[in-house]
Amino acid sequence: MGTIRSMSLWVVLGAAIALIFAAIYMTFLYAPTESMMGPVQKIFYFHVPSAMVAYLSVFVLLGSSMAYLWTRRRVFDYVAVAATELALLFCTVVLITGPIWAKPAWGVWWTWEARLTTTLVLWLILAACLMVRGYATERDAGARMAAVLGIVAALDVPINYLAVHWWRGQHPQVFGPGKKDPLAPEMMHAFLLCMVAILTLYLALLFLRSRLAAAEDRAQSLMDRMRDS
Amino acid sequence: MNNYVYLFWGYNVFWALIALYVVFLATRLGRVGQRLDRLENSLSASDDD
Repeated sequence: MGTIRSMSLWVVLGAAIALIFAAIYMTFLYAPTESMMGPVQKIFYFHVPSAMVAYLSVFVLLGSSMAYLWTRRRVFDYVAVAATELALLFCTVVLITGPIWAKPAWGVWWTWEARLTTTLVLWLILAACLMVRGYATERDAGARMAAVLGIVAALDVPINYLAVHWWRGQHPQVFGPGKKDPLAPEMMHAFLLCMVAILTLYLALLFLRSRLAAAEDRAQSLMDRMRDS
Repeated sequence: MNNYVYLFWGYNVFWALIALYVVFLATRLGRVGQRLDRLENSLSASDDD
């Protein structure tokens, strides 16, 4: 297990923890309270970076799924498993923190608005990816089906991002084309630090989860070897 | 004041989910590490025989 406890992993994890403490300080003590929404607006500092990291993870899933289907090298499948699980984790965070913000802002927990609905669809596709792996009777067949579903999940990301423009939903769009200085400088600093902290945490977890998938696969191969001998 | 309740829950849900996932990962890593050590030991013992 020496490979799992590699030095670089602990450096990234340590950096993520330090950045998270800095991000908490910036969110609650440095960034001003928004005048219209009040303190509940601070959910934005964790909700939006989580959504961006979920998008990133789906693109990692797309790249690793395509590479796996092309080369059939298991290392790409390990990354795909990690990316799927983390995309699902951050998508879950988005789907829970969003309604907690929406209740005081819109007066309802949930509305079948385009951005919310396509996020839910993305969550369901990612859950299906993991279920397909879990229920497959043969390991490689499960990995292949999950890779195809991973590519389908990536198709939902641009639809999800552009949903606000295409269907003019209620969901606020803070960043994007035509948005000049969307946040006060202190809010922007806090947001950027939260983004870096959550991204670093994501990279550490991606690394850790990929190593876990590799170790589990190695354990399974050793079991098979023992059974054959 | 009511707004703080939503902020409290929004913030705690975020960290609770991340912490749960880290615990889940650490547990599985520990378990697979022990399993690998056991399998490698028993394989090397059977190779010696």
